[in-house]
Amino acid sequence: MSLLLRNHIRLARASIKQNRTRSFLTCFGIAIGIASIVLILSLTGSISSLINHEVSGIGSDLVVVRPSRSKDSVTSIVEELTSASSFERSSLSMVDVATISEVEGVTAVAPIAVSTNTLMNEENTIPSATIIGTSPEFTTIEPLPLKYGVFLNNKNSNNAVVIGHDLALKLYNTSNPVGRTLSFCGQRFIVVGVLDELENTINFDNVNFNESLFMDVEAMENVMDYVQIQQINIKVLNTSLLEPISTNISTALKDNRYGDTNYSVSYGDAISHPASNLLMIISGMLALVSGISLIVGGIGIMNIMLVSVSERTHEIGIRKAVGASGYNILMQFIFESLILSIFGSILGIFLGYLLAFFVSLVTPFSPYFSWEIAVVTILTAIVVGVLFGTYPALKAARKKPIDSLRYYR
Amino acid sequence: MDNVVIKLSNITKRYGYGDTASFALRDFDLEVKRGEFIMIMGPSGCGKTTLLNVIGLLDRATDGEYILNGEDVSSISAARQARLRAKKIGFIFQNFNLIENLTILDNVALPLVYVNRPRTVRLKAAAGALKRFHLSEREYYHPSQLSGGQQQRVAIARAIVSDPEIILADEPTGNLDSRSSNIVMEELKAIHEEGNTIIMVTHNPSLTSYATRVINMLDGQIDTDIKTVADHNLPQPIYVRTKKHRGRTKEIEAVEEEEI
Repeated sequence: MSLLLRNHIRLARASIKQNRTRSFLTCFGIAIGIASIVLILSLTGSISSLINHEVSGIGSDLVVVRPSRSKDSVTSIVEELTSASSFERSSLSMVDVATISEVEGVTAVAPIAVSTNTLMNEENTIPSATIIGTSPEFTTIEPLPLKYGVFLNNKNSNNAVVIGHDLALKLYNTSNPVGRTLSFCGQRFIVVGVLDELENTINFDNVNFNESLFMDVEAMENVMDYVQIQQINIKVLNTSLLEPISTNISTALKDNRYGDTNYSVSYGDAISHPASNLLMIISGMLALVSGISLIVGGIGIMNIMLVSVSERTHEIGIRKAVGASGYNILMQFIFESLILSIFGSILGIFLGYLLAFFVSLVTPFSPYFSWEIAVVTILTAIVVGVLFGTYPALKAARKKPIDSLRYYR
Repeated sequence: MDNVVIKLSNITKRYGYGDTASFALRDFDLEVKRGEFIMIMGPSGCGKTTLLNVIGLLDRATDGEYILNGEDVSSISAARQARLRAKKIGFIFQNFNLIENLTILDNVALPLVYVNRPRTVRLKAAAGALKRFHLSEREYYHPSQLSGGQQQRVAIARAIVSDPEIILADEPTGNLDSRSSNIVMEELKAIHEEGNTIIMVTHNPSLTSYATRVINMLDGQIDTDIKTVADHNLPQPIYVRTKKHRGRTKEIEAVEEEEI
């Protein structure tokens, strides 16, 4: 059997060499399909690794409470995307923040309420600036380097704001506006601090801290009619206690809310899951679309194999006359298409990474290498090769020896 | 029963059905003994080639019984047919039927591929067979680089490389000039004298001098059947003889090795 196998491979190689241009073009058809899949997987891989990296940057001792139950399944994520639930009122409140801060092992609790509003001062107007309502404990959880001034504290919380580096430049045309005022919703506030410029500007649900304004959540509640707490960040005493503490938080919240469990407590990698899941759906869709180009490539293989079979009818006749069985002929042609598609997929992997590299030159993504991508693409190529090679190979195998011997080109 | 390689009884090959039915072979009976060199003659369309195809397991008879080497092969599977073709039957065709993109050596070695011989064994055997036909220098040529006579000798080398029970030749000299035909016929004669069984279809009556038996066919049946050599005088394969004379085995093998 292994002898025959080697023989099939040798035969296929010889036949492919004989029609170099044709074989290369066929391979190229497969390569384009594989390349687009590799490109998509590599880019989405780099995005999700970026997200994971950010989460690990936030800190491993972080517990996050979010409104509404955690969404694990794909359908629930899609449901959320298509429903109007994002306009619903958040189920978290300041009462919950108070409840959590009493749980044992919790060192800091910071609610995060994100809103947008128009900011004004004497010089400039920013039409839609991000306003983050939080508590002074926020810096304990997420250390934010200050460039000038101080962060929010219990004494200044009523009318103080801290602004991001870029926002300071936009509003005051200077990087140090500490002590100056701004207004929104008909109230005036004093800038007490300016954040240092942050490198990782995408953080916490795509909020760009460089362009944001921080203020006390209770002051925010006074200005705006209501605030929505999108998230509560909690710092715990000890990383090893993450699991029991988050369970305690969960039960404490449940007891305090008369059994209502419309919230989710997550820590570690699970924090980034909603984003990763969504990304997986999108990359799956894209890969599926590029799979269509793979089908086109597969049809190319089938076409060429059919040509090859009819060109070699006489040869098939001779082979059968000297003792080749239908199975031998079948395997000969399946191996030929298999080798075409495997060569194509190897070419495609190189091509895909080359493209990913070029894309990475103009985007913040770096191409993401993994053996899974290589395995998946090679396996796909094998499936395509066998799938689209079988029909021509069967056609070859079923040829009657006397008819084929009579056939001349 | 002894020494019978092929036994055909009531073989019928019909094409078409009902009113359009025509018979290439009609109740054909034939018994071929080991060592016979049979020439089949007859007008075009009398069923010579069909007979050869049926014997060579390339085609199936519509009806009748075919016993090859004691095995009933009338209704075996296509895979088994292929296996028997690889092991027991060597073909020589009028148009040589060599694979154009394989070298001469690979062409000769081709039947051994399908009986699972390792590559080195195949190439050695093929080189041996080619040497026998004085084509050793042409091993890495392609068929189109050889003359018709040389190509046919390559085809004969391919036919004998796997030591088949019978060699079937369908007008092997049909495409050759008289000089090349003579060379090819001499080679076939030499193979026959080693004890091979040959069935050959021809249109050329002058070649019948090589045969031990001449069959004339007409309308799918035997017209005349003349044996020119008595059965007990037929050449027998070496291995059959060595079985009879145990003492000489070594000696013959040694001679054989020298020849190769």
